[in-house]
Amino acid sequence: MTDAMGVCAALIAAGIQAGTALLLAALGELVLERAGVLNLGIEGIMLVGALAAFAASHAGVNPGLAVACAGGAGLCMGLLHGSVTVLLGANQVVAGLALLMLGTGISGFFGQRLIGQTAPGLDSLPVPLLADIPLAGRAFFRHDPLTYAGVLLVPSIAFILMRTTWGLALRAVGENPEAADAHGISVVKVRMLASAFAGILAGIGGAHLSLAYNQMWIERMVAGRGWIALAVVIFSCWRPYRALFGAYLFGLVGAATFRFQALGSPVSAPLLQTLPYLTTIAVLVLVAWRSRRHTMDAPAALTVPFRREERR
Amino acid sequence: MVRWNGAWIMAILATVSCGDRASPGRSEAVPAVGDTVAMVDLKVGFVYVGPIGDAGWTFAHDQGRRALETRYRGLKTVYVENVKEGADAERVLTRLAQEGCALVFATSFGYMDAVLATAAKYPRVAFMHATGFKRDANVGTYFGRAYQTIYLAGLAGGALTTSGKIGFVAPVPIPEIIRHINAFTLGAREANPSCTVHVVWTNAWYDPAAEKDAALSLMDTGCDVIMTEGDSPAPLQAAEERGAFAIGYNSDARAFAPTRFITAAVWDWSVLYSRIVDEVLAGIWKAEDYWWGIETGITKLAPWGPAVPETVRQRVGTRQREITDGSFDVFHGPIIRQDGTEAYPAGARATDEELLSMSYFVQGVAGTIPK
Amino acid sequence: MSAAAVILRRACRDLAVIAGAVGTVLLACHVVLGAAGIHGAGACAALFRESLGTRYGFSESVVKATPLMLAGLAVAVAFRMRLWNIGGEGQLYAGALAAAWVALFLPRCGIPRVMLMLPAACAAGAAWALAPGILKASLGVSEILVTLMGNYLAMLLADHLCYGPWKGSTTFGFPMSDRFPADADLPTYAGTRVHGGLAIALIGAVLLWALLWRTRWGFQVRVAGSNARAAEYAGYRIRRDVVVVMLISGALAGLAGGVEMAGVLHRLQPRFSPGYGYTAILVAWLARLHPLAIPPVALFLGMLLTGGEQLQVSAGVPSSLVDILQGLILFLALAAEAFLRRRHGEARHPELSGSPAVEGSGD
Repeated sequence: MTDAMGVCAALIAAGIQAGTALLLAALGELVLERAGVLNLGIEGIMLVGALAAFAASHAGVNPGLAVACAGGAGLCMGLLHGSVTVLLGANQVVAGLALLMLGTGISGFFGQRLIGQTAPGLDSLPVPLLADIPLAGRAFFRHDPLTYAGVLLVPSIAFILMRTTWGLALRAVGENPEAADAHGISVVKVRMLASAFAGILAGIGGAHLSLAYNQMWIERMVAGRGWIALAVVIFSCWRPYRALFGAYLFGLVGAATFRFQALGSPVSAPLLQTLPYLTTIAVLVLVAWRSRRHTMDAPAALTVPFRREERR
Repeated sequence: MVRWNGAWIMAILATVSCGDRASPGRSEAVPAVGDTVAMVDLKVGFVYVGPIGDAGWTFAHDQGRRALETRYRGLKTVYVENVKEGADAERVLTRLAQEGCALVFATSFGYMDAVLATAAKYPRVAFMHATGFKRDANVGTYFGRAYQTIYLAGLAGGALTTSGKIGFVAPVPIPEIIRHINAFTLGAREANPSCTVHVVWTNAWYDPAAEKDAALSLMDTGCDVIMTEGDSPAPLQAAEERGAFAIGYNSDARAFAPTRFITAAVWDWSVLYSRIVDEVLAGIWKAEDYWWGIETGITKLAPWGPAVPETVRQRVGTRQREITDGSFDVFHGPIIRQDGTEAYPAGARATDEELLSMSYFVQGVAGTIPK
Repeated sequence: MSAAAVILRRACRDLAVIAGAVGTVLLACHVVLGAAGIHGAGACAALFRESLGTRYGFSESVVKATPLMLAGLAVAVAFRMRLWNIGGEGQLYAGALAAAWVALFLPRCGIPRVMLMLPAACAAGAAWALAPGILKASLGVSEILVTLMGNYLAMLLADHLCYGPWKGSTTFGFPMSDRFPADADLPTYAGTRVHGGLAIALIGAVLLWALLWRTRWGFQVRVAGSNARAAEYAGYRIRRDVVVVMLISGALAGLAGGVEMAGVLHRLQPRFSPGYGYTAILVAWLARLHPLAIPPVALFLGMLLTGGEQLQVSAGVPSSLVDILQGLILFLALAAEAFLRRRHGEARHPELSGSPAVEGSGD
């Protein structure tokens, strides 16, 4: 019995670990989409962030500062997307896909010399006292600093979005930019800041993959997690707490598929791997069914470029 | 079809008589890599399925390519990375031939149709298809008997497990990987007849996060030795974290498990690539199957990690000599399948054809092959 | 302003856009490649010399563009109604699976198998898009999420079939089906790999244009796309149209998978698509969701992608650098276009942007 509980605790811990990169990237994207901008290039930003963090740590930078480097690299990528889509009003979908290519290329090109190298990473940081609780300690309180940061970000972002004037301004820009503009809010400024924020968080999400979850750099190591982060945002209906739920759920079901195999499940691996995707759809359908809500509350001005009308 | 059967018979005869080009090291010396030879005029093309930065399969082949450039003055190499095993492959191969490559290496099994189609268009270009099984007038196939090395690694792994459970992180269920899992299990159970090898498929050639999680899930269920065939060293790092022993693949990544590293089954493609370039230069290359063993150095064990006791090193060393001189064969009977039926009775040996198409697990493997 | 003047002005604008984009692209190539120690202009010439200048290179660009055209049409029809179907990749795999099933398992029945493969591919692609369509129309579940998940599901299903039940008997245990019988092949054009799928794609583009611009139903769909509320007031049955549009979109993407099977690959292999379904999103947007613009845009992207390979072959450029270059080309083309459009002060197309939430689910 205790053995089974131990496996469960390990599973929860693995799910949280696997979900953290998704959560960080999804939180940034959530804020950005709330401001009315869609960035499909999250995967590319995460790759650049992962490389920047690992390269910095490899060069002798303290791992904490290396995470900041990843944030900085992500910031640049986010601003690049922002300047094309927000300042110039270019198509957000194409710009996101272009950013993906660019991020894949930049990280691959500059990462060549770091293949097979080691660097100090972010080790797990047990929470004093709580980490010693049997089972729960192992499941929840023995993670790396970025995991805790991700969890703490959720209420902070939820509070800022829903309870502050900044949040109100951001949401207004995403729902009705013309009205926000009429109230004296600078739509461009808000959207650029959101682009920067989303870039930083996606970069840090990448850093979690190269410094904490794994401590290495491998070309294209994000392996599609940027797309899953986008799915998490939609799954969350643009609400931070539900993003936390979605990211951890996806991580947990993914981690469970390997454990089913290790425990001797006879189902073929590809079919087992459909579980996280099927679960995501199932939960979303269930929520929609129960709440009978017909709109999923996407920001009304998402993907709509804003152009201030000339006043004559 | 007649020609292929003929080729198979040749290959089988070659192994039995311990001579011939299919395994040259047993009777002839392999040219030492590192000697530079006279100026040559040859362009060699490479098609890679992944990025060079995958740290695994493609990386190892690219090391082979670089070795060629150092060894032969004047030799030019061209490579294309990330070529999907679909419609793109034939175009890339054609372009390499158009660009003047006299020899082209296609380094993934999924390029088979594309290689054959392109080779028919360019009869003067020599094509070599890694891990493949179809040949033609100017299409040869090549691979290395990594299963020999992996068997030896299994011998060490079996000796070092105390829980009797060994975890195997496997990418996708193709004959090559199944053969390696079986060889590993035969080795492990020779050292420890009661141990079992537990397989988790990641269903991806490289995804370090998934490989790490697969290793963790195996350790969570009691495995205290982890073997990986994935490209990345992520399982090694996970094993080090948890205090389990680790065995690597493709390249020597001991830096990722400094205290728990046992060994790794590493590739050195440069020996085979140099040999084929020599043959093409001398005009004696023939479209045959090159399936080289441990005696040629194409596959080898990485130096032992610090935690491996002397007795284990000696035991593996003895077996390695026996494989090298041909007196020991990894797949010799009696071999019992996972379901309890007999694959080979005592005294029988697996043929190359049977090894190349292996699609069952041996006794001692806990895991499933999709049916 | 007279009509002629408008046309002239637009032509001038388009020329300026093209010139601006080409100029920035050349500059970008030169700078990026120069930084890596490669002669930029020469490499850039190589990128287009092969894909445009030789018969073989051009034919290969067409081969690459064919599935992109069909998948691009699939994306365009859905996006026209602001249905963000990003599941082209999954629907393409579903189509390929159905085509492979017909080729491998259907007994000979008088007519060539290829005649049945393509309809089967359409049906499977449509079926794969049906679930997201119904969930969207009935419960308002985001089609972005369901179609994205559908990509992974279809790919994993293909993996399962290739590694398991459909593994060929003559493939030595390798994960691929047997080669399809000869009557499952589309005809090819004079010694190249260009196949009948091209004709199907071009006809598809014209038919889709006719459907959207020459029928009452097409008008409804476009109205629903540009203003869902207006469409509701007009009494259009938006829920039904959502499902129908998803079906058409899925069928087109499935057809892309079918022609790739019957025209080029002739056997099922896992992960055979180099991301056609995602590249198709790019095709559709660059073509401004206009069916008739999709074939040339797909051809342009086909050239860009095959040119990238050529850059690796002839100039020794690593693929990561090619990715950077292609990303930059897209970015700069996009920026140049947006910049010039702003200067011309043209009003944006309302149907080319907008919220992913179709509000017209009827509540």
